[in-house]
Amino acid sequence: MATTRKSSAARAVTELSEFNLKMARGQEMLNRLKDEDVQIATADKDVVFRQDKVTLYRYRRSGAASIKAPVLVAYGQVGRYTMTDLQEDRSMLRNLLSLGVDVYAVDWGNPARGDRWLTFEDYVDGYLDECVRFICDAHKQKSINLLGICEGGVFSLCYAALHPERVKNLILTITPVDFHQDQAEGRVNHGLLNIWTRGLGDDDIDRLIEANGNLPGELMSYSFSQMTPGATLSKYNVGLFDTFDDEKKLLNFLRMEKWIADRPHHPGEAAKQLLINLYKNNELIKGKFQVGERTVRLSDVKAPVLNVFAKDDHIIPPKTTQALGKAVGTKDYTEIGLDGGHVGVFVSGKSQGVLPKGIVEWLRKRD
Amino acid sequence: MSESSNSSNPWEGWLAGQQALIKSMFPSPLPQESADATSGDSLQTQFSELRDAWKESIEKWSDMAQRAGKAPAFSPESLQSLFAPERWAGAGVIDGALKRVLDGPKFATLFDQDRQLLELQRLATRRDQDVAAFQAVLAKGWTKAYERVATQSLKQPKPESWRAVADGWLSMVNDSLIELYRSDEFVEAQRKMLRSASDYRLQERKIAEAWCEVMHVPTRTEVDELQRSVVELRREVRRLRQAQDRKPATVTAKPAAKRTRTARA
Repeated sequence: MATTRKSSAARAVTELSEFNLKMARGQEMLNRLKDEDVQIATADKDVVFRQDKVTLYRYRRSGAASIKAPVLVAYGQVGRYTMTDLQEDRSMLRNLLSLGVDVYAVDWGNPARGDRWLTFEDYVDGYLDECVRFICDAHKQKSINLLGICEGGVFSLCYAALHPERVKNLILTITPVDFHQDQAEGRVNHGLLNIWTRGLGDDDIDRLIEANGNLPGELMSYSFSQMTPGATLSKYNVGLFDTFDDEKKLLNFLRMEKWIADRPHHPGEAAKQLLINLYKNNELIKGKFQVGERTVRLSDVKAPVLNVFAKDDHIIPPKTTQALGKAVGTKDYTEIGLDGGHVGVFVSGKSQGVLPKGIVEWLRKRD
Repeated sequence: MSESSNSSNPWEGWLAGQQALIKSMFPSPLPQESADATSGDSLQTQFSELRDAWKESIEKWSDMAQRAGKAPAFSPESLQSLFAPERWAGAGVIDGALKRVLDGPKFATLFDQDRQLLELQRLATRRDQDVAAFQAVLAKGWTKAYERVATQSLKQPKPESWRAVADGWLSMVNDSLIELYRSDEFVEAQRKMLRSASDYRLQERKIAEAWCEVMHVPTRTEVDELQRSVVELRREVRRLRQAQDRKPATVTAKPAAKRTRTARA
C-alpha cells in the first residue's frame, strides 16, 4: 500500500525537529568528550633509537611472527606517521602486527628553523639509513622490508636505489614518482598541488624558504584544504553535523582532525628539493635526482616492489605513482589499486582488512 | 596680432608678448652702439650686453616652455590614472610616492635606515595589493558558483530537504572553485601573493637585523649560517663514517637494554 505523502510544510517541520534533536545530541556529546578521549597512535610501542629529532619506534607484537624480516614504516615530512595508527579499529600498524609482522615506524619529529638545512641526503643516507642499520643489527639480518608512505615513499625509493643491499622488499603506498603525470587521467580535481607548484618560479620557492626557514606546516595545510573546497567549506557544519548520529562517528572525526592539525614544518632545503627538483623538474623519473653527491636511478631498485595507490587520490593521482612500473630495475613489480582517496587508504573502515592483508600476503611469498 | 599669439598654446602667446616688450624697450640697431664701441665699458655697451643676456635668457625659457607645453595637461591617460580606484583607495598614490623616494639618489649611509623602512612600507603595500587581487580572483569563482547555482537549480527537480539543497549547493561551489583553482589567473595571483609576502618578511628581517647588529645580538642570518655549518659538518662526519664502513652510531646502545615504554592511552 502506498504511503501518504506528507505536505511540504509537514516535511519541513519534521526535518526541523530532527535537525534540532540531532544538534542537541551533538552538543551533549561535545560537552562530554575530553581531549583524552581523542587519542591517536595508541598502539603499544617502545622507543628503540633516537638521533637528533628522529625517533624510531618498535611496536609490540602479541602473536607469533609470520614474517621473518621486520617492516620499517617511513612516512614523509608532509604530515606524520600517526595516521597509520589513527585509532584501534583503523590502524594499518595494528593490523600488520596482528598478522604477525614485526613493525617499526620512524617519526621525523618537529623540524624547527635550525633544521632548515636538512636535505634528502640527510633523511635518506642519514636518519633512514641509521634506522635501517639499527633494525638489521637488532634482528641480525642484512636487510629489511621498507614501507614508504607518500613522501616517505620517495625517501624509501631513493634509499632502495642507493642502498639496495639493505632492502629485502620495498612497499610503496601513495608515492609520487612521475610528478608530471598529474593530468594524465583528465580528472579536474586531481593534481592541483602539481599545477600550483609548477606555477611558482624557482626564486619564488627560494624566497619562501628563505623567509620562513622551512616550508610552514600551516601553508601545507592551507593548500590541502584548498584542494577540496566543497569538503573544506562543509567540514565544520554539515560534516560535523553528520557525526552527531553517534559518538563513534564523532570520535573518528575528531581523531582525524587531531592528525590533520599536527602538521610539522618541512625542513627548508629538503622542501626546495621536493618542490623544485621533484614537483617542477620531475627529476626522479628522469634519473637526474641528486641525493648528496649521488644520482638516484630507479633502475638500481632491484628489490621486489609492491606499489599501492588509491584510485581516487587527488593529491597523488594514480598515474603519477603507476609510472614506477616501467622505471624500476626489478621484474618482481606488483601494483594494488585500492578504492578511496589519499588518506582513506589507511583510515577508511573499508580498507582496514584490505591493505595490511595485501601487504602481508605479498611479503610471505618473498620472505 | 602676431601668429604666435593666435596659437592656442598659452606659452607661445606669453613668448610673443615678451619679445614685443623687449623690442619696444631696445629698438635695434641701437644708434650709438658702433660709435662707442671703442670705449668698451661705456654705459651703452653694458646696456647692450644686458639686453643680449636678457634676450638669450628669454629665448631659453621660451624654448623650455614650448617643450613643456607639448605635454598635454589633461590627457585621457592622466585622467584615467586620476580616477583609478586604486588611487582613490590611496594605495597607488602611496606606492607611487614611495617609489619616487626610493628611486632617488642613494648615498652610502645617508638616510639608509629611512629607506629600509620606506621599502618595507612599499612591500607591505604591494603585499596588500596582491592579497586584494587574489581575493578579487577568488570572488570571480564565487560569482560563477552563484550563477551556476541559480541557473542549474531552475533546471533540476525541487529538492526534498534542506540537506539536499546544501549538498547540491556545495557540489556546484566545489566544481566552480576547482575550475578556478586550475586557471592561470588563479595560479598567478596565488604566486604573486606568496612572493610579496616572502619579500615583505625578508625586508622586515633586514631591518630587524640592523637593530640586532647595533644591540650586539646575533642576527637571523648569522644563526642560519651557524646552523648550516653544523649540518654540513655532521654530513661530513657521516660521509667519513660511511666511507670507513662504520659501525652504527647510536645514542642508545643496545635496543633491548635501552627500551623505554611510551605512555599507553
